[in-house]
Amino acid sequence: MFKGWSRPTGFYAKIIRPPLIYLPLLLILLTHGACTKTVLVKGSLPTPLVKKIPARVGVYYSKEFRSYLHKEDLPQSGTYHIDLGDQNLNFFRNLSTALFTEVIEIDSPELSDEQRLELDAIFIPKIVEYGFLVPAISTLAFHEVSIKYEIQLKDRYGKNLGDWAFVGYGKAESERFGSGAAVKEATVLAIRDGGARLATEIAPFLSSVLDDAEVRQRKELIR
Amino acid sequence: MIIRGAILLCLVLTGCVSSRIEQSRSTVTGIDFDEAMVILGRASYSDRETKVSFTDCIESELSTGKTAIRLIPQNQFKDDLYPWFEPRTAPTSASDLSRLFAEPGVRARIDEAKVRYLAWIEGDTLTTDRGGSMSCTLTTFGGGCFGMSYWEQDASYQASIWDVKQLTTAGKISADASGTSYIAGLVIPIPIIARPGNAACKGLAAQLREFILDGS
Repeated sequence: MFKGWSRPTGFYAKIIRPPLIYLPLLLILLTHGACTKTVLVKGSLPTPLVKKIPARVGVYYSKEFRSYLHKEDLPQSGTYHIDLGDQNLNFFRNLSTALFTEVIEIDSPELSDEQRLELDAIFIPKIVEYGFLVPAISTLAFHEVSIKYEIQLKDRYGKNLGDWAFVGYGKAESERFGSGAAVKEATVLAIRDGGARLATEIAPFLSSVLDDAEVRQRKELIR
Repeated sequence: MIIRGAILLCLVLTGCVSSRIEQSRSTVTGIDFDEAMVILGRASYSDRETKVSFTDCIESELSTGKTAIRLIPQNQFKDDLYPWFEPRTAPTSASDLSRLFAEPGVRARIDEAKVRYLAWIEGDTLTTDRGGSMSCTLTTFGGGCFGMSYWEQDASYQASIWDVKQLTTAGKISADASGTSYIAGLVIPIPIIARPGNAACKGLAAQLREFILDGS
């Protein structure tokens, strides 16, 4: 059966029998790959059912916010690369559109003269901190994630009207999902929880600060 | 023949589970063919909460059979009514529904989906006891397991059914099940598994169906 088989020579021999010098490199690559978990956070993007704040707002998403990536090396669980970017950005786009009567995305936290004529205020969300716990550390049966957000509200001239910090928390069953998938699920829930806090707890303060600062330019938006 | 043997073996190797279902009714119930129910797991920030697998099991039991009830998936319902059914904001009693319905768009969204009942599921399956010992050895001459280990599980769940039309609690159903699982090592390990969580799910779902459809 194997009579016709002969030892490969020339080009094929180089492929089939690589020099032994590559073996440690191959082992390093394989073990490194096994210990690094890349988590791309994706989930549903609900549109909040909340009362709109009557204001025309420019929303500034910084580069860090648009492509937030968390890297952490856990001694027993390997290295995690958690990419929140698109999910977090799209979630906040939906959220801000639901929160204010008119929303325009702006490229800079400082308004141009033209924008000052159109907008009442500037809304700047930030991720201050991202943290997660795996069962090997927490000894619980869950993967847990917390995201600390900060919201800054400025008037059209850049004067600070207020800062609000809040934490979104999420957890996911470790049995149901694999480790990477559980971190993803817990992160989606933490973003949702942060959004829920902003929409239900922070939004009334934003509204009253805008009222007090008398920044609304359009008469129909003044209550 | 092999399949029959496998089924028989599974039946023999299934551990015993004892379960108890109790019900209390506050109002007359009933559901039209186009009305729907939502099964919601009560989430908390503690380390114990109703697992998604349990609510999935209840949904699967209720949505099948001759008397299937129209269900709206939990995730879809939470997305449609975001942010009002998140762990932080979800109503804790039926009386909170009137406050919730005052929020813009909430009542309309629920009416549009024709949601008649919300069933909140609370509870957990816990391992209450474990013991015994078993060791397995593998040598060049062969291997095997010897000894016996066991664990006892207790599943305790409660469903609180809210009537969205009447804005009241229609009733409560509780399901408790317990069972002991064994693994006996007689060269090969022979598992005899009890599934109290599964028994509680089936019992609770059957009672929930009867509660909604039978009415009084």
